[in-house]
Amino acid sequence: MTSAPVLLEMRSITKTFPGVTALSDVNLEVRQGEIHAICGENGAGKSTLMKVLSGVHPHGTYTGDIVYQGEQVRFSDIRASEQAGIVIIHQELALVPGMSITENIFLGNEPRGRFGIDWKAAQRRALELMEQVGLQEDPDTLVKDIGVGKQQLVEIAKAFAKDVKLLILDEPTAALNEADSRHLLDLLRGIRGRGVTSIIISHKLNEIEAVADTITILRDGRTIESLDVKADGVNEDRIVRGMVGRELHSRFPEHTPKIGEVFFEVRDWTVRHPISADRLVCKGSSFTVRRGEIVGFAGLMGAGRTELAMSLFGRSYGVYLSGQIFKDGEEVRLRTVSDAIAHGLAYVSEDRKAIGLNLLDDIKTSMVAAKLSKVAHHGVIDPVREYRYAEEYRQSLRVKTPNVDEGVTKLSGGNQQKVVLAKWMFTDPDLLILDEPTRGIDVGAKYEIYGIIQRLADQGKGVIVISSELPELIGLCDRIYTVFEGTVTGEVSRAEADPELLMKQMTSTKKTPIR
Amino acid sequence: MRKYLTRSVALIGAVALLTLSACFSEREGAPAAGASGSAAPAKGFAADALIGVALPSKTSENWVLAGDLFTNGLKEAGFTSDVQYAGASTTVADQQAQISAMVTKGAKVIVIGATDAAQLTTQVKQAKEAGAVVIAYDRLITNTPDVDYYIAFDNFKVGQLQGQALLDGMKAKKPEGPWTVELFSGSPDDNNSGVFFNGAMDVLKPAIDSGDVVVGSGQTDIKQTAIQGWKAENAQSRMDSLLTSTYNGDKKLDGVLSPNDTLARAIITSVKGAGKDIPVVTGQDSEVESVKSIMAGEQYSTINKDTRKLVAETIGMVKSLQAGTEPTINDKDSYDNGQKVVPAYLLPPVIVTKDNAAESYANDPKLAPLTQG
Amino acid sequence: MSRIKDLQKNLFGGTTSNARQFGMIFTLVAIVLLFQIWTDGLTLTSGNLIAVVSQYSYILILAIGMLMVIVAGHIDLSVGSVAAFTGIVVAKAMQEFSLPWPVGILLGLAVGALIGAWQGFWVAYVGVPAFIVTLAGMLLFRGGNQYIGNADTVPVSEGFRTIGAGFLPEVGPDTGYNNLTLLLGLAACAGVIWRELKSRQTRREMNADVAPMWISVLRMAVMVGVIVFATLRFAGGRVGTSLPISGIILIVLVLAYSHYTRNTIGGRHIYAVGGNSRAAELSGVKLRRVNFLVMMNMSVLAALAGMIFVARSSASGPQDGLSWELDAIAAVFIGGAAVSGGLGTISGSIVGGLVMALLNNGLQLEGVGSDMVQIIKGLVLLLAVAFDVYNKSQGRFSIIGSLMRPFRRDDPPPPTDRPSPASDAGKAPVAG
Repeated sequence: MTSAPVLLEMRSITKTFPGVTALSDVNLEVRQGEIHAICGENGAGKSTLMKVLSGVHPHGTYTGDIVYQGEQVRFSDIRASEQAGIVIIHQELALVPGMSITENIFLGNEPRGRFGIDWKAAQRRALELMEQVGLQEDPDTLVKDIGVGKQQLVEIAKAFAKDVKLLILDEPTAALNEADSRHLLDLLRGIRGRGVTSIIISHKLNEIEAVADTITILRDGRTIESLDVKADGVNEDRIVRGMVGRELHSRFPEHTPKIGEVFFEVRDWTVRHPISADRLVCKGSSFTVRRGEIVGFAGLMGAGRTELAMSLFGRSYGVYLSGQIFKDGEEVRLRTVSDAIAHGLAYVSEDRKAIGLNLLDDIKTSMVAAKLSKVAHHGVIDPVREYRYAEEYRQSLRVKTPNVDEGVTKLSGGNQQKVVLAKWMFTDPDLLILDEPTRGIDVGAKYEIYGIIQRLADQGKGVIVISSELPELIGLCDRIYTVFEGTVTGEVSRAEADPELLMKQMTSTKKTPIR
Repeated sequence: MRKYLTRSVALIGAVALLTLSACFSEREGAPAAGASGSAAPAKGFAADALIGVALPSKTSENWVLAGDLFTNGLKEAGFTSDVQYAGASTTVADQQAQISAMVTKGAKVIVIGATDAAQLTTQVKQAKEAGAVVIAYDRLITNTPDVDYYIAFDNFKVGQLQGQALLDGMKAKKPEGPWTVELFSGSPDDNNSGVFFNGAMDVLKPAIDSGDVVVGSGQTDIKQTAIQGWKAENAQSRMDSLLTSTYNGDKKLDGVLSPNDTLARAIITSVKGAGKDIPVVTGQDSEVESVKSIMAGEQYSTINKDTRKLVAETIGMVKSLQAGTEPTINDKDSYDNGQKVVPAYLLPPVIVTKDNAAESYANDPKLAPLTQG
Repeated sequence: MSRIKDLQKNLFGGTTSNARQFGMIFTLVAIVLLFQIWTDGLTLTSGNLIAVVSQYSYILILAIGMLMVIVAGHIDLSVGSVAAFTGIVVAKAMQEFSLPWPVGILLGLAVGALIGAWQGFWVAYVGVPAFIVTLAGMLLFRGGNQYIGNADTVPVSEGFRTIGAGFLPEVGPDTGYNNLTLLLGLAACAGVIWRELKSRQTRREMNADVAPMWISVLRMAVMVGVIVFATLRFAGGRVGTSLPISGIILIVLVLAYSHYTRNTIGGRHIYAVGGNSRAAELSGVKLRRVNFLVMMNMSVLAALAGMIFVARSSASGPQDGLSWELDAIAAVFIGGAAVSGGLGTISGSIVGGLVMALLNNGLQLEGVGSDMVQIIKGLVLLLAVAFDVYNKSQGRFSIIGSLMRPFRRDDPPPPTDRPSPASDAGKAPVAG
């Protein structure tokens, strides 16, 4: 493999966002015709690197050089990179659901005939391309009528239609089932045989191990190492070591839990999907939380953790079917968010920009938004009290801002997350549900957030942490529940928590390895 | 705090005094005399005074022509003129604001072609209090004691002429009755619609009662015959439905009473579309297309209300007011606007058919050529 | 530059957002002065100012409600029709049943509330977009107006006309001015001074920087100067005139709604819903109730505006309320509200409405035809918002945005390319 010529070289790429350095001095070397995997934790800079490569972050917004096919290139936008044969397929597919497969394949790239689009030629070419990617469908089928796996293939066919030389796949199998994933990986091997180079970003290390020729590992915005899979005898553990790079424990503040009695309990919680009546998103889930305890919820994407949390929080998601909530020994009915807040629940959502914050607000307005009555007399807000509370939280949570009149969009992700935490701490909750509390924020801020979570627990509150990062759960939580397909499938104490055991319970049935 | 407070109050006091001394008050000793009732100005006013003319929106040829005639005529007479049209979609509110602006600018006479005759009370009162004379042009302003004169064509007479023309036309085609007719009237929000209709019915009613004239559909109430907004499309769709409901088959329609030319042409279009013989259709306004239609033998009649004459008479009225003399009026009793009987000057309308078209339009540069040959 | 900024900051308040709100007011002053010169001083005469206030008070009242609707992320196209419908119902009811006029006004407000409840129900509880609901309402209530009024013009009684064409009575000694207007002016001055001192105290309590006293005094002097000027103008018109009753109604509404939107929980919920409805819902805001109340409130204000117009016109007619919605919406957007909701202030919308009103008035005084006036107003709307958008995209001082959130809200930063630095967050676990 090493004998193949270098197709792409990215040298000393540095990219900063206000307040955060996303990439610092990153190097990447991709050889002609290989499958190159890029691994790293959340926030390691993988996607940013690909955005730099594909022109989403145009030349001039980063420093460093990109050499492609032996020439230095400066892409001003995605079109420019696509013209050079670099096509990126994002996790969220860029397909138009109401259009046919043919139309999607040639969207923005329609073959011209004498009278507008030459649909006959398009049809012919589409069939060829579909055959190449192993998609057996009528090309007139609407994209919304085929499964996610096949949609992924349409995306790849679309890339082929643009004469792709370097195909970048961002988490291609995240939403796919077993069989579709295997098909996709086979396809990747197939196109390697035809000389197309691909870069794959994935969290599924078993897949990477199975398919990749070379692996580049990023951590905290830096290149850690490049591994040749065959020569270096790489296995999953080796990759993890590179990705994590240090002892897990140093990532978490010292903490001695002070755990009290059970005060919150959920029994047989069952909720159906808001639209499809026959789909249950929570099936008879039961769990307990003790005072002063940090309880983790582990599960794969789509396992129903967020749905569980939101349906508990004033039935904000889905349609409640059955189940009970007990707080301090008594059953409570939380029909609305205000009920939930009144009973001391707080839910910090996983997507703070979309549903956690009003991005038009300033810091102090955001912090008091969930319990305005606390700063008001007879419905009239007292600006002095509002300001004082906000100041208090700014100082105690160390939000990096000159003053609390600033807009929340001016803050970095970590500081925004602190504002959201403050917003919910302000409601004086007994139980905080934190959904992906450290998503998209950098390592330093994570450490601070962990500290805040531990302090909240020490005040006697119960804290539920939902996270996709197993190391985070293992490092932070006193107890971890695993969730699979809407059901709580297991409970693991801090002492016995290890990734493999959790993973087994998170998948419930034993998975067949992908080879 | 207290020290600052006193200081600031002192400062504010100083500002207040300064502004006060600038002598702001526009109050005169007593309220303007003659807040209501008789208008006759004792002394007249300056020969180059501002004359305001507020007209409805530019939706018909006549208003545009009137505006141009006012602008030129007032200028020739030595006055300063301010001619305004209401906006197309915000008619009433626009006209109210325009009249207010004319009052502010000190207009001595304000000529108003009202968009809605009953909604100008406040502005007319304001004008009156500022000492301006208000002339209602073409449409009587109602609901106020503050309008001084009314000048218009005799609209009741227009209706009578239309009714008579309808009868004459039908007799000419088919000497013996009974004749079958349909009735149309103007927009229900226009004061004049009822006047036209009543005038026509004044002539037609006896014939209907005697059975000589039969309204085929039986729709004789003004609420049934009204055409919202004077719109051609509404007239056409009403005629279409009448033809379908009443005149399918061989049933013949002899005549249609149409209050104006736009509606008349719409009615003719509808009848033609249904493949029927064109009945006798009346009209009003002498619009170019209708004059052509009359010459072609389709529309039967129209009314010549010469805008030139009406504007000229209005300007004459303004001149008398300027000179301090009482303007000529020829009807002191008929026009009660609900609050007072408004002295009026009425011009006689003229009925025009193919026979007298050339003669009637001899002085009209636009229409005269159409009537030749 | 920085020195100018410092001065701005000191003059107009502690924060930059306070300094910005003066941009639009500056535009307004510029328009006034321009026309004052152009019309040889007619613009600022008592008679004209009184006429302007009574002519546009109903549009400004609509703008108050429209601001709240737009902030909540909706739109209301039906206001003109609702106003016309209410007008004809009230006029007809008073005519047919000889209702006393105060009962007529109550009836009108009740009709407005009913219509509002109807529209609010569809928007908030059924979830039909407000654009559609109010487009339907526009047709519905316009038709209703013609159905009930037979497209006739129905006159109203003298007493009823007070709310649209009435003035304060002349009482007390002959001062050469309308005494009650003078008293109102005095009260306004006292209010301005009290508010300035109160806000200084508040800032001190917050331990925030308090501007030097001379700044406060200067600011108070400017505002008091304006109030004194306005008071004398309004009090010094022809005998029998004063600040119009409709103007007083407007001022009361502006004060009340400004307070509500800025300082109360309910007001904040409107901004929260408009800014991010899902986030608001998850913070315990009762989304449906907020939407319902905002739509309902709009119709009540539209009913009031309709009655004021009818009172001023002394009759309810079939053309009432035509394209009022456009004037109200234009005022709100010129006043700095965001199309997507969540941004905007009452005071901004009022200034936006006044810009339109004075533009209209000035052009009419100049004898510019209504066709040109419409063209100019259209261009002003477009340019005002475009200029603002451009400035924001350049990250510079935003004149229109100046009014967005005078006292509590800051503009969002320009929509620059600033994604989350670690957007590759996946849901799958790191280690398998």
